[in-house]
Amino acid sequence: MSEPDSRIPGSPGSPGVALVDVNNFYVSSERAFDPSLEGRPLVVLSNNDGCVITRSAEAKDLGVAMGAPWFQIADQARAWGLQVRSSNYELYGDMSSRVMEVLGRYTGNLEIYSIDEAFLTLNGTHPAQRRTGRDIKATVRRNTGLPVCVGIASTKTLAKLANRWAKGNQEFDGVCHWDLVPEAHRQSLLRRLKVTDVWGVGARTAARLNAIGIDSAQDLAAADPVMIRKRFSVVLMRTVLELQGTPCITSRESTGNEQVLYSRSFASPVTTLEAMHQALSVYAQGAASRLARKTLQGRVLTAFAATSPFSTGVKSSPSICIPLPVHTADPLELTRAAHRLLPLIEEGVPYIRAGVIVTDLQPAGSQSVLLTLGETPGNDTGPLLHDIGRRFGRAAIGLGHAGLRAGSDWTMKRDMLSPHYTTKWDELPVVKAR
Amino acid sequence: MPSGFASPAQDWFEDRIDLNRHLIRDITSTYIVRVSGDAMEGAGISDGDELIVDRALQPRHGSVVIAVLDGELVIRRLSVTTSGTGSGTAVSLIAASPAYPPIAVPDPDDLVIWGVATRCLHHV
Repeated sequence: MSEPDSRIPGSPGSPGVALVDVNNFYVSSERAFDPSLEGRPLVVLSNNDGCVITRSAEAKDLGVAMGAPWFQIADQARAWGLQVRSSNYELYGDMSSRVMEVLGRYTGNLEIYSIDEAFLTLNGTHPAQRRTGRDIKATVRRNTGLPVCVGIASTKTLAKLANRWAKGNQEFDGVCHWDLVPEAHRQSLLRRLKVTDVWGVGARTAARLNAIGIDSAQDLAAADPVMIRKRFSVVLMRTVLELQGTPCITSRESTGNEQVLYSRSFASPVTTLEAMHQALSVYAQGAASRLARKTLQGRVLTAFAATSPFSTGVKSSPSICIPLPVHTADPLELTRAAHRLLPLIEEGVPYIRAGVIVTDLQPAGSQSVLLTLGETPGNDTGPLLHDIGRRFGRAAIGLGHAGLRAGSDWTMKRDMLSPHYTTKWDELPVVKAR
Repeated sequence: MPSGFASPAQDWFEDRIDLNRHLIRDITSTYIVRVSGDAMEGAGISDGDELIVDRALQPRHGSVVIAVLDGELVIRRLSVTTSGTGSGTAVSLIAASPAYPPIAVPDPDDLVIWGVATRCLHHV
């Protein structure tokens, strides 16, 4: 944790935390290069065109369910006029990098939280922080075409709520500063929200909270932190304190099975490429083992580093978002991807934090694995293949691509893939001069 | 050139020319697009050329812009003229080839400019 702030949290002049996230990130990225998709119902499908993972507002209105298997709705899609795209990880990765770079210009303390969301520390008075939030929204939109919402508050947990509020209410125009909303409105929002709507409160904890009469976010905010620590956990106590306006969550490791985030502050600043190389290796492997424990594999990796927000010297928060060639939890693959951050690291600059986020997760085992048999001593590969084939079925193993079932990732089904507009020279957006 | 007591050997360590540095103002707002058609031939922009487009630049009278027309990205030169009395402005998108008539924009508020072209990578 950072040193305690003697200033009163939430009072004018104390630093604010902004949570910036892209609205419907995948859908918005597709629309940024294909304006004909604007205003039309659009969904993006998961790996192998399996099921719906992102829906535009229009698609939600049609009643397309999140997670709906594509084969079930494919027939109806035409009648609905539903537009469909395969996951364009290359495009989303590049757009994510652009957004994060823009955000880094507004703060000395950028904490990337997922492919499309980040926390930023903002200084100045509350109205000044809100002005910065509006400027961020306008600049990201102008530079990338992507719409973002900004929630600002004295704590991350409240910033999450403010962000959610900004999304749901036109009047905020996408930017909500918690401390500039009248107290009565805030209380009425907290009353309407369930405890599960609060950042970091899962269904199991919620059930136990409900059992002792804590139903709404307002109930949780009014709970006695000491009681919560005794009956639940220190983690939940921090959430309560944050709801009350006391910042005490520095970073969350991970949320459920959506992503794996592995990030640490360094004991002493890292100033050399070599040390950063090492740190990224350790964190990538940490993320890999966390994935393995959950039997998950990821398709996109974000690596980042940051200098101290309190430093008076150079402030820098480089990040890079790398689409992986296949879904993987392979530590070597993840480490190699994480090292792609290194060209953005400046020798001599004191970085105090670095981390790795893996997103677009799917259960492991749905992919084929390539074994290297070159090291096999002797010439017993043939019998080996045969034995495995007999034990596990003919399609279980094969040399090269041969003998494998359909569905491996290098032949991944992406039938409705948009061009790699920003990463492939042959697939640039086309502008009409006719 | 500033003079000083730097080692003369330092002059030898000069980086190669980096086109990204010279041609791109802001990496977050810069995109490369490909031209299809001959409507901008007169401006030196041919079919198949690549353009460097900056989405953050303010389009002005005379800018070569990528506009959104009927859901498509269309390249034209932006024309903004003030009428005689200065009471109103007329906005239109002009091709650089007589074969394509100007596209009038009745309500400038409806015009979406996707980006401003800053360089043309013309195939010679």
